[in-house]
Amino acid sequence: MSASSAALTAAFATFLTVASLPASADEFKFDASEFEKKLFEFSGYLEQKEEVLKPLSDSPAYKLNFPGVPGREWLLRSTTTLEASAKLNLDPFVADVRAQASYAGDALISTTNYGKLMEGGLRWSAGTGLTFDLGKRVQRWGKGYAWSPVGFVERPRDANDPQASREGFVMASGEWTKSLSGPITTIGITGLVVPTNDSMNADFGEKKDLNPAARLYLLALDTDIDLLWRGKGARPQSFGFDFSRNLSTALEVHGEWARTMDASRITITDSGATSSQSVNVSSYLLGLRFLTEGEVTWIGEYYRNGAGYGAEELNNYYQFLDYALTTSAAPGLINKALMAAQSGYGKPNPGRDYLHLKASVNEPFDWVYGAASLTSIVNLNDHSFQITPEISYTGFSNLELRVRLVILGGQPHTEFAEKAFSNRLEVYVRYFF
Amino acid sequence: MKISKLLAFMALCLPLLASAVDGVDILKKLDRNLDPESYESYRKLINIEPNGAKKEFVIYSVKKGKDQTASLFLSPSSDKGRSTLRQGDNMWLYIPSVGKPVRITSLQSVIGGVFNNADIMRLDYAQEYDVKLIEEKGDHYLLDLKAKTGDVAYDKLKMKVDKKLILPTEIEAYAASGMLLKTLHFKDVKDFGGGIKRPATIETDSPLYKDYKSVMLYSGLKKRSYADEVFTQGFMPRLEELRK
Repeated sequence: MSASSAALTAAFATFLTVASLPASADEFKFDASEFEKKLFEFSGYLEQKEEVLKPLSDSPAYKLNFPGVPGREWLLRSTTTLEASAKLNLDPFVADVRAQASYAGDALISTTNYGKLMEGGLRWSAGTGLTFDLGKRVQRWGKGYAWSPVGFVERPRDANDPQASREGFVMASGEWTKSLSGPITTIGITGLVVPTNDSMNADFGEKKDLNPAARLYLLALDTDIDLLWRGKGARPQSFGFDFSRNLSTALEVHGEWARTMDASRITITDSGATSSQSVNVSSYLLGLRFLTEGEVTWIGEYYRNGAGYGAEELNNYYQFLDYALTTSAAPGLINKALMAAQSGYGKPNPGRDYLHLKASVNEPFDWVYGAASLTSIVNLNDHSFQITPEISYTGFSNLELRVRLVILGGQPHTEFAEKAFSNRLEVYVRYFF
Repeated sequence: MKISKLLAFMALCLPLLASAVDGVDILKKLDRNLDPESYESYRKLINIEPNGAKKEFVIYSVKKGKDQTASLFLSPSSDKGRSTLRQGDNMWLYIPSVGKPVRITSLQSVIGGVFNNADIMRLDYAQEYDVKLIEEKGDHYLLDLKAKTGDVAYDKLKMKVDKKLILPTEIEAYAASGMLLKTLHFKDVKDFGGGIKRPATIETDSPLYKDYKSVMLYSGLKKRSYADEVFTQGFMPRLEELRK
């Protein structure tokens, strides 16, 4: 652990001590005037993450990420992240900004992010049911927990950490909502544009375009329903729907379906021959949340990634990487391998069919504010898997402690067996301010 | 002779019938005495551990009509900006980092400890319960309530009501199995202005959380009317706009 990490740990220990002091005699006093709305608000968090990683030194992913670096048994990595948000309330306008800075270092590499704008802009509430927004925003469409096929205008979430902070795209949007009586109790319409050019939203697409998108939301017969569309532009046209409904106080079901037209799909053979096709693909997701009498929450999701790769296609790709990364291979093959990774093979979940299963329990064994969970993600085509046991504790005000072990497994040339690291232990301490 | 016996039986039943009507009436009066039909309020929720350590949450809540309520977490910083919405039996939680409303159930707890979601997003008692029995005992009414549907968090309530104020002093909440889940103690009757006089403190304990205690404190409770659109998912990230 570095000196800065040790200092942070000591600071957190002090917070733990202060936060756990017994309640004082005047604990039951409360005056709402102490919580009046403020013109300016500032908040955020400071997070320290310590990781122990087991490198897969022979895997292509390791060789691509750390070219020429000899293998090692373990790798220790420290990451410090500061995320700060500011908000200016100028009724009916709200201006806000959320930015993040981080430092990550281990024996092989260190990276510094001096400050990235994650979100920020101006919102005008023209009425209770009408808003306009301009700025960098994260649109979160869909009802899925781990994946969202209908997330047409957002960066993909990490299926292994779906609540992780994400960066938005610069956009202009308007939203109108109306309550009704009858079987449809709420209707909402969102329209937005995500302009792209060489300098704006370049990772959405470099083609100069407005990239319109829209969403129609209905709460009908106690069911959330969205109809979603993204026009053809820097990305191909997509449309789809999602739904979510509570079948009982303990059971919720949800689903998504998306169709993308003329999507580009690149495949590579084990000898490195690439081919590109324009295809129409459908992706969908079906899921449920179930709370048992024993207070265990189960989240199960099946995800069909229409543009994803089957077991044979992934096997071909990994065989090609094995060949391209040998010392005797032609130098141009490494560039080809990198291009293939960027075209889709290198995505966090490039496969075609997945199953996500998470069992979590709050306050296990009467451990108030504690939580434990076990998450598994299985590539149903090549049967490789990832299992993540996790415990967390939120009993100290404004502190969140989290420990998790990520275990990867599978046969050679399968998705989770070909990552740069096979297993890792992560310890997080996050202080909110 | 038979007719006279029947009349005598009916005469005996009359007080019971009358009391059933009174029970519903008392429950409706109690609902209105606790909260106006449409209001805003600030609440502090305190979870107290056996060693005296505590964790506090401050929530701004609004309610309209019989079955619409929404809440915004103002404190602590780790929970600030979270909001909840209830439309009848539908409940959602909005967490800024997740960025979209997620359906939740009444038995879960967004804050941990003794209070569950149904306690935090409570609707009128008369909306969710039928009066099965009412008794008079000294200066209190004793009401036995039964949930109207299986979607209600507690299957049965035993309610002790102050006769003079028509306000609860104690409520025991039971599961369908008959197990006592928690007891709510209503204390510190306070005049909030605008004709609202109600307990400002609710202390809760539960045999499921031995030696733990949760307290709910009220402040800034007042009548206020809202557009229906306030109680929609799209408004969950904007609840702060309602605060003045």
